[in-house]
Amino acid sequence: MAAILPYEYKYLRAKKKFPHVWCPGCGIGIVMGSIIRAVDSLGWNKNDVMLVSGIGCTSRMPVYLDFNTLHTMHGRALAFATGVKLANPELRVIAVMGDGDALAIGGNHIIHAARRNIDITSIIVNNFNYGMTGGQHSPTTPVNAITSTSPHGMIEPDFDTCALLSAAGASFVARATVYHVVEMDGLIRQALEKKGFSVVEALSPCPTNFGRANRLGDAVKMMEGLRDNSVTAVKASGMTPEELAGKIVRGVLSEREAPEYTELYRGLCARVQGARAEVAP
Amino acid sequence: MARKTGQESAEEKPPVPAEAPAVEASACGHDEACSYVHIFQGWCKGCGICVAFCPKQVLAMGSNQKAYVANPEACIRCYLCARRCPDFAVTVTDKPERIRQEGDE
Repeated sequence: MAAILPYEYKYLRAKKKFPHVWCPGCGIGIVMGSIIRAVDSLGWNKNDVMLVSGIGCTSRMPVYLDFNTLHTMHGRALAFATGVKLANPELRVIAVMGDGDALAIGGNHIIHAARRNIDITSIIVNNFNYGMTGGQHSPTTPVNAITSTSPHGMIEPDFDTCALLSAAGASFVARATVYHVVEMDGLIRQALEKKGFSVVEALSPCPTNFGRANRLGDAVKMMEGLRDNSVTAVKASGMTPEELAGKIVRGVLSEREAPEYTELYRGLCARVQGARAEVAP
Repeated sequence: MARKTGQESAEEKPPVPAEAPAVEASACGHDEACSYVHIFQGWCKGCGICVAFCPKQVLAMGSNQKAYVANPEACIRCYLCARRCPDFAVTVTDKPERIRQEGDE
Protein backbone atom coordinates (compact mmCIF):
# COMPACT_ATOMS: atom_id res chain seq x y z
CA MET A 1 0.00 0.00 0.00
CA ALA A 2 1.47 3.30 -1.03
CA ALA A 3 1.97 5.95 1.62
CA ILE A 4 0.09 9.20 1.22
CA LEU A 5 2.56 11.67 -0.25
CA PRO A 6 2.49 15.48 -0.32
CA TYR A 7 3.07 17.27 -3.61
CA GLU A 8 6.63 18.12 -2.54
CA TYR A 9 7.62 14.52 -3.18
CA LYS A 10 7.70 14.95 -6.94
CA TYR A 11 10.58 17.40 -6.44
CA LEU A 12 12.55 15.08 -4.16
CA ARG A 13 14.96 12.30 -4.99
CA ALA A 14 12.91 10.35 -2.51
CA LYS A 15 13.72 6.80 -3.51
CA LYS A 16 17.50 7.16 -3.40
CA LYS A 17 18.49 9.65 -0.76
CA PHE A 18 15.94 9.84 2.04
CA PRO A 19 15.79 10.16 5.03
CA HIS A 20 18.23 13.03 4.62
CA VAL A 21 21.49 13.66 6.47
CA TRP A 22 20.46 16.71 8.51
CA CYS A 23 20.15 16.41 12.30
CA PRO A 24 16.74 16.14 14.01
CA GLY A 25 15.32 19.65 14.29
CA CYS A 26 17.66 21.26 11.75
CA GLY A 27 15.85 23.98 9.84
CA ILE A 28 17.50 23.36 6.47
CA GLY A 29 14.80 20.85 5.56
CA ILE A 30 12.16 23.53 6.21
CA VAL A 31 13.99 25.95 3.89
CA MET A 32 14.15 23.19 1.26
CA GLY A 33 10.40 22.72 1.54
CA SER A 34 9.92 26.48 1.13
CA ILE A 35 12.01 26.50 -2.05
CA ILE A 36 9.92 23.62 -3.43
CA ARG A 37 6.64 25.35 -2.62
CA ALA A 38 7.85 28.65 -4.10
CA VAL A 39 8.93 26.97 -7.36
CA ASP A 40 5.72 24.95 -7.45
CA SER A 41 3.51 27.99 -6.88
CA LEU A 42 5.22 29.81 -9.77
CA GLY A 43 4.43 26.83 -12.00
CA TRP A 44 8.00 26.45 -13.21
CA ASN A 45 9.11 23.25 -14.87
CA LYS A 46 11.68 21.60 -12.64
CA ASN A 47 13.97 21.11 -15.65
CA ASP A 48 14.21 24.90 -16.05
CA VAL A 49 15.53 25.37 -12.53
CA MET A 50 19.24 25.17 -11.73
CA LEU A 51 20.24 24.69 -8.11
CA VAL A 52 23.89 25.41 -7.29
CA SER A 53 25.61 24.92 -3.96
CA GLY A 54 29.04 24.81 -2.38
CA ILE A 55 30.06 22.73 0.63
CA GLY A 56 28.39 22.51 4.01
CA CYS A 57 25.19 21.35 5.65
CA THR A 58 23.00 23.63 3.52
CA SER A 59 24.93 22.71 0.42
CA ARG A 60 23.73 19.12 0.72
CA MET A 61 20.40 20.41 -0.60
CA PRO A 62 21.03 19.68 -4.32
CA VAL A 63 21.57 16.04 -3.40
CA TYR A 64 17.92 15.76 -2.41
CA LEU A 65 16.19 17.98 -4.95
CA ASP A 66 15.30 16.81 -8.43
CA PHE A 67 16.16 20.02 -10.30
CA ASN A 68 19.26 20.48 -12.45
CA THR A 69 21.86 20.53 -9.71
CA LEU A 70 25.49 21.47 -9.28
CA HIS A 71 27.40 20.67 -6.09
CA THR A 72 30.66 22.59 -6.24
CA MET A 73 33.62 23.74 -4.16
CA HIS A 74 33.42 25.46 -0.80
CA GLY A 75 32.31 29.06 -1.20
CA ARG A 76 32.25 28.93 -4.99
CA ALA A 77 28.53 28.38 -5.51
CA LEU A 78 28.03 31.88 -6.90
CA ALA A 79 31.06 31.64 -9.18
CA PHE A 80 29.59 28.53 -10.80
CA ALA A 81 26.08 30.00 -10.77
CA THR A 82 27.34 33.09 -12.60
CA GLY A 83 28.86 30.85 -15.26
CA VAL A 84 25.67 28.86 -15.64
CA LYS A 85 23.55 31.99 -15.92
CA LEU A 86 25.82 33.59 -18.52
CA ALA A 87 25.96 30.39 -20.57
CA ASN A 88 22.21 29.85 -20.51
CA PRO A 89 20.22 32.89 -19.36
CA GLU A 90 16.97 30.94 -19.79
CA LEU A 91 17.70 28.85 -16.69
CA ARG A 92 16.32 29.99 -13.34
CA VAL A 93 19.45 29.84 -11.21
CA ILE A 94 19.18 29.41 -7.45
CA ALA A 95 22.30 29.33 -5.26
CA VAL A 96 21.89 27.79 -1.81
CA MET A 97 24.63 28.53 0.67
CA GLY A 98 25.27 28.38 4.36
CA ASP A 99 26.49 31.38 6.30
CA GLY A 100 30.13 30.31 6.26
CA ASP A 101 29.92 29.25 2.64
CA ALA A 102 28.38 32.54 1.52
CA LEU A 103 30.07 35.10 3.76
CA ALA A 104 33.44 33.70 4.81
CA ILE A 105 34.90 31.52 2.08
CA GLY A 106 32.61 32.92 -0.59
CA GLY A 107 32.46 36.45 0.77
CA ASN A 108 34.19 37.97 -2.21
CA HIS A 109 31.99 36.14 -4.70
CA ILE A 110 28.78 37.25 -3.05
CA ILE A 111 29.58 40.96 -2.87
CA HIS A 112 30.63 40.99 -6.51
CA ALA A 113 27.62 38.98 -7.65
CA ALA A 114 25.48 41.55 -5.84
CA ARG A 115 27.43 44.43 -7.40
CA ARG A 116 26.94 42.99 -10.91
CA ASN A 117 23.25 42.43 -10.17
CA ILE A 118 23.20 39.15 -12.08
CA ASP A 119 19.84 37.38 -12.09
CA ILE A 120 20.53 34.72 -9.45
CA THR A 121 18.44 33.97 -6.38
CA SER A 122 20.67 33.33 -3.36
CA ILE A 123 19.25 31.53 -0.36
CA ILE A 124 21.59 31.93 2.61
CA VAL A 125 20.69 29.58 5.43
CA ASN A 126 22.17 31.15 8.56
CA ASN A 127 22.60 28.81 11.51
CA PHE A 128 25.28 30.98 13.17
CA ASN A 129 28.13 28.45 12.94
CA TYR A 130 29.81 25.81 10.78
CA GLY A 131 27.56 22.89 11.64
CA MET A 132 29.03 20.14 9.47
CA THR A 133 32.59 20.37 10.79
CA GLY A 134 31.77 20.55 14.49
CA GLY A 135 30.42 23.99 15.32
CA GLN A 136 33.26 26.43 14.62
CA HIS A 137 32.47 30.15 14.66
CA SER A 138 31.45 31.81 11.41
CA PRO A 139 31.09 35.46 10.31
CA THR A 140 27.51 35.48 11.60
CA THR A 141 28.16 34.06 15.08
CA PRO A 142 26.77 36.63 17.55
CA VAL A 143 29.11 38.37 20.01
CA ASN A 144 29.66 36.35 23.22
CA ALA A 145 28.28 33.13 21.70
CA ILE A 146 30.13 29.92 22.60
CA THR A 147 31.35 27.75 19.75
CA SER A 148 34.07 25.11 19.54
CA THR A 149 36.57 27.70 18.29
CA SER A 150 35.38 30.45 20.66
CA PRO A 151 35.01 28.50 23.93
CA HIS A 152 35.18 31.66 26.07
CA GLY A 153 32.77 33.64 23.94
CA MET A 154 33.00 35.19 20.50
CA ILE A 155 34.78 38.56 20.58
CA GLU A 156 34.40 39.51 16.90
CA PRO A 157 31.30 41.41 15.83
CA ASP A 158 29.08 39.60 13.34
CA PHE A 159 28.02 40.48 9.82
CA ASP A 160 24.59 41.94 9.16
CA THR A 161 24.13 39.88 6.00
CA CYS A 162 21.18 41.81 4.66
CA ALA A 163 22.74 45.26 5.20
CA LEU A 164 25.99 44.06 3.59
CA LEU A 165 24.32 42.75 0.45
CA SER A 166 21.92 45.64 0.19
CA ALA A 167 24.91 48.01 0.26
CA ALA A 168 26.72 45.86 -2.28
CA GLY A 169 23.89 46.41 -4.76
CA ALA A 170 21.50 43.44 -4.59
CA SER A 171 18.06 44.07 -6.11
CA PHE A 172 16.06 42.27 -3.45
CA VAL A 173 17.11 41.53 0.12
CA ALA A 174 14.86 39.80 2.63
CA ARG A 175 15.22 37.94 5.89
CA ALA A 176 13.06 35.04 7.00
CA THR A 177 13.07 32.55 9.84
CA VAL A 178 12.13 28.90 9.63
CA TYR A 179 9.52 29.43 12.36
CA HIS A 180 7.60 31.88 10.12
CA VAL A 181 7.39 29.36 7.35
CA VAL A 182 4.42 30.78 5.45
CA GLU A 183 6.16 34.16 5.33
CA MET A 184 9.35 32.45 4.15
CA ASP A 185 7.43 30.74 1.29
CA GLY A 186 6.24 34.16 0.14
CA LEU A 187 9.65 35.83 0.46
CA ILE A 188 11.41 33.10 -1.51
CA ARG A 189 8.71 33.33 -4.16
CA GLN A 190 9.22 37.11 -4.40
CA ALA A 191 12.98 36.60 -4.62
CA LEU A 192 12.59 34.05 -7.42
CA GLU A 193 10.33 36.39 -9.36
CA LYS A 194 12.65 39.38 -8.99
CA LYS A 195 14.88 40.19 -11.94
CA GLY A 196 18.39 40.79 -10.66
CA PHE A 197 20.41 39.53 -7.71
CA SER A 198 18.03 38.60 -4.91
CA VAL A 199 18.94 37.34 -1.46
CA VAL A 200 16.88 35.64 1.23
CA GLU A 201 18.64 35.07 4.52
CA ALA A 202 16.82 32.25 6.30
CA LEU A 203 17.61 31.94 10.00
CA SER A 204 17.63 28.35 11.08
CA PRO A 205 18.34 26.53 14.35
CA CYS A 206 21.38 24.27 14.72
CA PRO A 207 20.37 22.31 17.83
CA THR A 208 23.24 19.84 17.60
CA ASN A 209 26.16 22.28 17.67
CA PHE A 210 25.18 25.91 18.27
CA GLY A 211 22.18 25.15 20.46
CA ARG A 212 24.03 22.65 22.62
CA ALA A 213 27.11 24.85 23.09
CA ASN A 214 25.03 27.86 24.09
CA ARG A 215 22.45 25.92 26.14
CA LEU A 216 19.61 27.11 23.96
CA GLY A 217 17.65 23.88 24.40
CA ASP A 218 16.29 21.55 21.77
CA ALA A 219 14.96 22.37 18.32
CA VAL A 220 11.54 23.41 19.68
CA LYS A 221 13.12 25.86 22.16
CA MET A 222 15.29 27.33 19.40
CA MET A 223 12.26 27.74 17.12
CA GLU A 224 10.47 29.52 19.98
CA GLY A 225 13.52 31.77 20.30
CA LEU A 226 13.19 32.73 16.64
CA ARG A 227 9.50 33.43 17.21
CA ASP A 228 9.98 35.55 20.33
CA ASN A 229 13.04 37.53 19.21
CA SER A 230 11.90 38.61 15.76
CA VAL A 231 9.79 41.51 14.54
CA THR A 232 8.51 42.29 11.06
CA ALA A 233 10.15 45.05 9.04
CA VAL A 234 6.93 47.06 9.15
CA LYS A 235 6.77 46.93 12.93
CA ALA A 236 10.50 47.59 13.28
CA SER A 237 10.22 50.84 11.32
CA GLY A 238 8.21 52.29 14.21
CA MET A 239 10.54 51.09 16.97
CA THR A 240 13.45 52.90 18.63
CA PRO A 241 17.01 51.50 18.36
CA GLU A 242 16.83 50.57 22.07
CA GLU A 243 13.70 48.50 21.52
CA LEU A 244 15.28 46.87 18.46
CA ALA A 245 18.44 45.77 20.30
CA GLY A 246 18.73 42.00 20.10
CA LYS A 247 15.75 41.67 17.79
CA ILE A 248 15.76 39.98 14.40
CA VAL A 249 14.07 42.11 11.74
CA ARG A 250 12.39 39.92 9.14
CA GLY A 251 10.58 40.66 5.90
CA VAL A 252 11.63 42.55 2.76
CA LEU A 253 14.49 44.83 3.82
CA SER A 254 15.43 46.42 0.52
CA GLU A 255 14.19 46.30 -3.03
CA ARG A 256 15.32 48.29 -6.04
CA GLU A 257 15.27 48.26 -9.83
CA ALA A 258 18.66 48.12 -11.54
CA PRO A 259 20.00 46.90 -14.92
CA GLU A 260 20.55 43.16 -14.96
CA TYR A 261 23.98 41.81 -15.88
CA THR A 262 23.15 39.09 -18.44
CA GLU A 263 20.95 41.52 -20.37
CA LEU A 264 23.72 44.13 -20.37
CA TYR A 265 26.17 41.49 -21.53
CA ARG A 266 23.94 40.31 -24.39
CA GLY A 267 23.39 43.94 -25.36
CA LEU A 268 27.12 44.56 -25.40
CA CYS A 269 27.72 41.48 -27.58
CA ALA A 270 25.04 42.57 -30.06
CA ARG A 271 26.44 46.11 -30.19
CA VAL A 272 30.04 45.00 -30.75
CA GLN A 273 29.07 42.41 -33.35
CA GLY A 274 26.96 45.00 -35.16
CA ALA A 275 29.89 47.44 -35.24
CA ARG A 276 32.17 44.71 -36.59
CA ALA A 277 29.68 43.82 -39.30
CA GLU A 278 29.66 47.47 -40.43
CA VAL A 279 33.46 47.62 -40.59
CA ALA A 280 33.82 44.30 -42.42
CA PRO A 281 33.39 44.48 -46.22
CA MET B 1 -1.75 28.69 -1.84
CA ALA B 2 -1.86 25.71 0.46
CA ARG B 3 -5.41 24.92 -0.57
CA LYS B 4 -4.59 25.18 -4.24
CA THR B 5 -1.53 22.98 -4.09
CA GLY B 6 -3.40 20.51 -1.95
CA GLN B 7 -5.93 20.09 -4.70
CA GLU B 8 -3.17 19.50 -7.20
CA SER B 9 -1.79 16.75 -5.06
CA ALA B 10 -5.24 15.19 -4.81
CA GLU B 11 -5.18 14.61 -8.56
CA GLU B 12 -1.83 12.88 -8.47
CA LYS B 13 -2.44 10.73 -5.45
CA PRO B 14 -3.49 7.17 -6.03
CA PRO B 15 -7.23 6.94 -5.42
CA VAL B 16 -8.57 5.35 -2.28
CA PRO B 17 -8.41 1.58 -2.82
CA ALA B 18 -11.61 0.08 -4.16
CA GLU B 19 -11.74 -2.47 -1.39
CA ALA B 20 -12.46 0.31 1.13
CA PRO B 21 -15.99 -0.68 2.15
CA ALA B 22 -18.65 1.99 1.81
CA VAL B 23 -19.88 1.59 5.36
CA GLU B 24 -21.34 4.63 7.09
CA ALA B 25 -18.80 4.27 9.91
CA SER B 26 -17.37 7.76 9.49
CA ALA B 27 -17.99 10.82 7.37
CA CYS B 28 -15.43 9.77 4.78
CA GLY B 29 -16.93 6.32 4.28
CA HIS B 30 -14.09 4.33 5.80
CA ASP B 31 -14.66 1.90 8.62
CA GLU B 32 -11.28 2.58 10.20
CA ALA B 33 -9.72 5.55 11.94
CA CYS B 34 -9.37 8.37 9.40
CA SER B 35 -7.34 11.52 9.43
CA TYR B 36 -6.37 14.53 7.35
CA VAL B 37 -2.82 14.46 8.69
CA HIS B 38 -0.41 11.57 8.25
CA ILE B 39 3.09 10.89 9.54
CA PHE B 40 5.51 8.84 7.46
CA GLN B 41 7.40 7.33 10.37
CA GLY B 42 10.22 6.02 8.20
CA TRP B 43 11.42 9.58 7.68
CA CYS B 44 10.46 11.08 11.08
CA LYS B 45 13.47 11.89 13.26
CA GLY B 46 11.46 12.87 16.32
CA CYS B 47 12.48 16.53 16.60
CA GLY B 48 9.06 17.40 18.03
CA ILE B 49 8.51 20.56 15.98
CA CYS B 50 5.15 19.40 14.56
CA VAL B 51 3.95 18.33 18.01
CA ALA B 52 5.00 21.58 19.71
CA PHE B 53 3.55 23.99 17.16
CA CYS B 54 0.28 22.26 16.22
CA PRO B 55 -2.41 24.77 17.27
CA LYS B 56 -4.91 22.00 18.03
CA GLN B 57 -2.67 19.34 19.63
CA VAL B 58 -3.49 16.82 16.93
CA LEU B 59 -0.04 15.23 17.08
CA ALA B 60 1.86 13.62 19.94
CA MET B 61 5.24 12.06 20.48
CA GLY B 62 5.22 8.27 20.72
CA SER B 63 7.35 6.07 22.94
CA ASN B 64 9.56 5.29 19.94
CA GLN B 65 10.49 9.01 19.71
CA LYS B 66 8.47 9.50 16.54
CA ALA B 67 5.38 11.65 16.11
CA TYR B 68 1.98 10.05 15.62
CA VAL B 69 -1.57 11.28 15.02
CA ALA B 70 -3.18 11.24 18.47
CA ASN B 71 -6.27 13.35 17.94
CA PRO B 72 -7.26 13.29 14.25
CA GLU B 73 -10.71 14.86 14.71
CA ALA B 74 -9.22 18.14 15.94
CA CYS B 75 -7.24 18.85 12.74
CA ILE B 76 -8.20 22.15 11.09
CA ARG B 77 -5.84 21.62 8.11
CA CYS B 78 -3.69 24.68 8.67
CA TYR B 79 -0.81 22.75 7.02
CA LEU B 80 1.69 24.18 9.54
CA CYS B 81 2.93 20.72 10.59
CA ALA B 82 3.60 19.74 6.98
CA ARG B 83 5.36 23.03 6.22
CA ARG B 84 7.47 23.01 9.38
CA CYS B 85 8.50 19.37 9.18
CA PRO B 86 12.21 19.42 8.25
CA ASP B 87 12.07 15.77 7.18
CA PHE B 88 9.08 15.84 4.78
CA ALA B 89 7.44 13.22 6.99
CA VAL B 90 4.08 14.97 7.53
CA THR B 91 1.35 15.05 4.90
CA VAL B 92 -1.99 16.82 5.08
CA THR B 93 -4.60 15.52 2.64
CA ASP B 94 -7.69 17.17 1.21
CA LYS B 95 -9.99 14.34 2.24
CA PRO B 96 -9.73 12.14 5.33
CA GLU B 97 -7.76 9.01 4.52
CA ARG B 98 -7.31 5.86 6.50
CA ILE B 99 -4.41 6.06 8.93
CA ARG B 100 -1.68 3.88 7.46
CA GLN B 101 0.26 1.51 9.62
CA GLU B 102 3.97 1.37 10.31
CA GLY B 103 5.90 -0.37 7.55
CA ASP B 104 3.87 0.97 4.64
CA GLU B 105 6.09 2.21 1.84
